[in-house]
Amino acid sequence: MDPGCLRDSFARVAMHGDQVALFFYSDLFLRHPETRELFPVSMAAQRDRLLNALGQIVADADKLDRLAPFLQGLGRDHRKFGALADHYGPVGESLLATLAHFSGDAWTPELAAEWNAAYQLVAQVMTDAAATDARRNPASWDATVLSHELRTFDVAVVRVATVQPLYYLPGQSVALEHPLRPRLWRYYSMANAPREDSTIDFHVRMIDGGPVSMALTRATDVGSWLRLGAPVGTLMLDTHSGRNVLLVAGSTGLAPIKALAEQLDGLPNPPTTHLFFGAQRAEGLYDLPALEKLAATAPWLHITACVFDDPRFAGERGYLPDIVARHGPWNGYDAYLAGSTTMTDATANRLVSLGVPDNQIHIEDFGWSEP
Amino acid sequence: MTVMSRADQRLTPDVVQSVTFPTSRLGRRGFDEDHVRVFCKQVEAELVRLLNERTSLQEEVRRLRARVLGRVAGDSGPGYRREDAHIQAVGILSKAQMTADQYVADAQEYSRQLAEDARRRRDEILSEARAHAEMVMEEAHSRGSQAAHVALVEAAGSPSSSQRGELEAELAYLRTFCDVYRTHLRAYLDALLRNVDEWEKAEQSAVSEVPGQLPAVLRRVAAPVARPEI
Repeated sequence: MDPGCLRDSFARVAMHGDQVALFFYSDLFLRHPETRELFPVSMAAQRDRLLNALGQIVADADKLDRLAPFLQGLGRDHRKFGALADHYGPVGESLLATLAHFSGDAWTPELAAEWNAAYQLVAQVMTDAAATDARRNPASWDATVLSHELRTFDVAVVRVATVQPLYYLPGQSVALEHPLRPRLWRYYSMANAPREDSTIDFHVRMIDGGPVSMALTRATDVGSWLRLGAPVGTLMLDTHSGRNVLLVAGSTGLAPIKALAEQLDGLPNPPTTHLFFGAQRAEGLYDLPALEKLAATAPWLHITACVFDDPRFAGERGYLPDIVARHGPWNGYDAYLAGSTTMTDATANRLVSLGVPDNQIHIEDFGWSEP
Repeated sequence: MTVMSRADQRLTPDVVQSVTFPTSRLGRRGFDEDHVRVFCKQVEAELVRLLNERTSLQEEVRRLRARVLGRVAGDSGPGYRREDAHIQAVGILSKAQMTADQYVADAQEYSRQLAEDARRRRDEILSEARAHAEMVMEEAHSRGSQAAHVALVEAAGSPSSSQRGELEAELAYLRTFCDVYRTHLRAYLDALLRNVDEWEKAEQSAVSEVPGQLPAVLRRVAAPVARPEI
């Protein structure tokens, strides 16, 4: 395999941008119509993902130590989409047809052989990882909705029970598929430490125009079925640091933070912990009673509720990062932040400027932003 | 030219040259963000269209060239080639997919705007209601304290037992009056909140349509917005 040759070839093809992925999927669906079922109606996001993944694979083609884990993750990840080992052949066929189409005269039998060898390797690593994973875990977990509470007009707390046990660490999240929005997967954090009865809570905030979040907040009832992917995420409690703990949650960023707080509660000697929970308005503090209940039996846990824009709120008012900074110093603390990108970025910056080392700051960025 | 035009209108160089963006509302600097975003979308759609056209033209050139070369080499007929048919089918399916993508994107954008609008109006109604409630409470309070003051002054002047009885009766009346006012206010606010709830329910039923279909409200509106170029 010649990584340089593949890179040059891919650069020529990638010039055509979205067209490449468009051609690839049309070719695949025409040759193997049954594969269309595996994808959502709109393919726009899917095409971006394909090109990005291909770009990364080609860029790292000679760095196997980086490429292998990426491909293994990709292989495992595709199980929940219903991808089977049998699909890899057709995909390879269409991929080569696409490369040939956009390479024009530069497509030679030698180049075709290079690409074919590279694809076989990629497919092998992905299917191997998927097969290994299949020995331990289902492709996805079916879950039934036990309760659905609309806490504010745009935040719902959904409790589900999985049919098969789902093992995860507090702070992790899963991709979630709603029956009304087939083949659209969105990540949500588990909002509790694992329970004996294998029930899981999710905190869902309705994003304006977000197809999955709208279905989850507005069109989900007790008895609805959801599908969950394998747990992912790196917001994990460092239980050996010996430091105190600072937890900062903006809106439904509370979900992983609450799971961490519950995990701390289960430790024999929980460290002193400060939890800041912020919302735009007082009504957005949708889970404050549960936090206060937890704090009532946990002398190590201190809770500060903050509201950004509500002059009638009696507690802390202002921008969450400012309020957190005001309550410092936090040098001796491990900080865990979850919420909108703007909030987590700003808080991390404030903490760094207050002298908290980078490696003590752990972030779960929810992707959405908020003024 | 207004920028908020339909996405399927062709973008020409003179449009780009003459485009104007309205400046944004007070308190913000620069152009109105929404207008700029819409324009960028248009430019992007136009580029995709041009790239599409270019690819199919290149394809056409290649096919024609192959045919001409074939003739030169002595191949008499153009002949039907399976490969060509497949490439054409890929082109047709790609076009259909792009149309579907555009419909979904339009529907999502429309629902985003609706939700944003509803959110803004909800906030407005609630803050108006709050202001109104505060005003009413203040008025009730000041009337109550005035009455109490008058009663006290009168009581201080001639504190006979019959007058005290009267004053106590008046105080009791004022307390009841206050309670009644409070109940009225609560009912008023409840009614407002119910109103908000009804909106939400309407929205909910719109979201929970059959899978694979657009919500009724979107089906009606999205189609004319997203009519593809024919």
